[in-house]
Amino acid sequence: MSSMKTTLEGYASYRGREGHWSFLLHRITGLGVVLFLAIHIVDTSFVYFAPKLYDEVLNVYRSTLFGLGEIALVFCLFFHGVNGLRIAYLDLFAPQNWTIEKTRRSTYIALIVTLVLWLPSAGIMLYKLLYHNYGLFGG
Amino acid sequence: MTTTTRPVKVKRTFEQTAWLWMRYSAFLLIPLAWGHMILQDVVVGVHNINADYAIQRIANLGWKIYDIFLLGFAFAHGMNGVRQVLRDYIRNPQTFQVVSIILLVVWFVITMMGAIALLAINQPLGG
Ligand code: HEM
Ligand code: HEM
Ligand code: HEM
Repeated sequence: MSSMKTTLEGYASYRGREGHWSFLLHRITGLGVVLFLAIHIVDTSFVYFAPKLYDEVLNVYRSTLFGLGEIALVFCLFFHGVNGLRIAYLDLFAPQNWTIEKTRRSTYIALIVTLVLWLPSAGIMLYKLLYHNYGLFGG
Repeated sequence: MTTTTRPVKVKRTFEQTAWLWMRYSAFLLIPLAWGHMILQDVVVGVHNINADYAIQRIANLGWKIYDIFLLGFAFAHGMNGVRQVLRDYIRNPQTFQVVSIILLVVWFVITMMGAIALLAINQPLGG
């Protein structure tokens, strides 16, 4: 446990700049998505094991809290995917580009691509959430 | 200047293979996981999803195969990811082995639940 504390303190105080927070964000988004996925596979399997329960679980997913969580989930999977491609490409095909200068640049590019993908999706999801849960836009 | 190199065959360890597969599966997960998420979250949306909808899709052979690939690759990639994260924090190799086995069991049980649902449903409701 003390090694855990040291690690977490290191994460908070270490100044690795772009590479450091890109690493942390990749880790946090990956863990977030796998936690969601474990629950999601189980709740989807209810459609076979207990169809009534399936619709009840979906009612929970429709709540505003989960709706906001879903918008965050979409960000996580977009960032994790773009950044994961960056890592996989550099590791497998261009390891000579793992220099501090170049990784800094590619980290920013990954973040911009993520936002370009995420913002329109988030807008559409927010629109649907307001439409169904708050009766806005004629819902 | 000439350099002579002598190729040495080194047997790949399990960890190296797992490291490589995290990268290979990454390329497959982009179309699979993103495609599924954009369709279900953004285009269709949870307000239009219910048991009928899910059953109808799983009964469709094309989407069934798509879902089987998604289930196999996304969850294996994710659970091996969890294992790699924990390996950074657990110093004791024996503890790590026990944790790995627990993760393997969790992965297997949940994957089986998903696989049974995907394979058992072959007809839309009332069809
Ligand atoms: C005592 C331990 C460590 C030492 C001495 C150390 C040292 C360094 C140095 C000298 C650099 C290059 C300087 C710079 O980027 O400005 C660097 C970069 C980096 N370190 Fe560490 N580091 C340590 C721990 C860590 C840890 C724990 C992490 C992960 C959380 C980490 C992740 C990185 C990353 C991702 C970069 C690249 C930064 C970039 O591209 O800007 N390092 N480290
Ligand atoms: C969308 C396509 C995806 C791509 C391109 C991708 C790429 C990657 C890559 C390259 C790594 C290795 C990182 C490293 O060793 O430094 C990784 C780690 C990981 N991935 Fe993914 N992944 C994707 C989807 C997913 C999904 C769907 C999940 C969850 C179910 C997930 C969960 C994880 C976890 C937990 C890790 C370990 C994180 C760490 O070591 O810090 N990934 N991913
Ligand atoms: C909150 C957003 C999501 C919604 C509303 C959603 C909805 C659904 C639905 C309705 C099904 C039933 C089968 C089908 O229609 O193809 C399903 C199955 C599945 N989804 Fe999602 N999905 C979401 C996000 C994700 C994400 C992010 C992943 C992976 C990273 C994922 C992985 C899967 C898998 C593996 C299955 C098959 C489960 C089984 O074996 O029974 N889903 N999803």
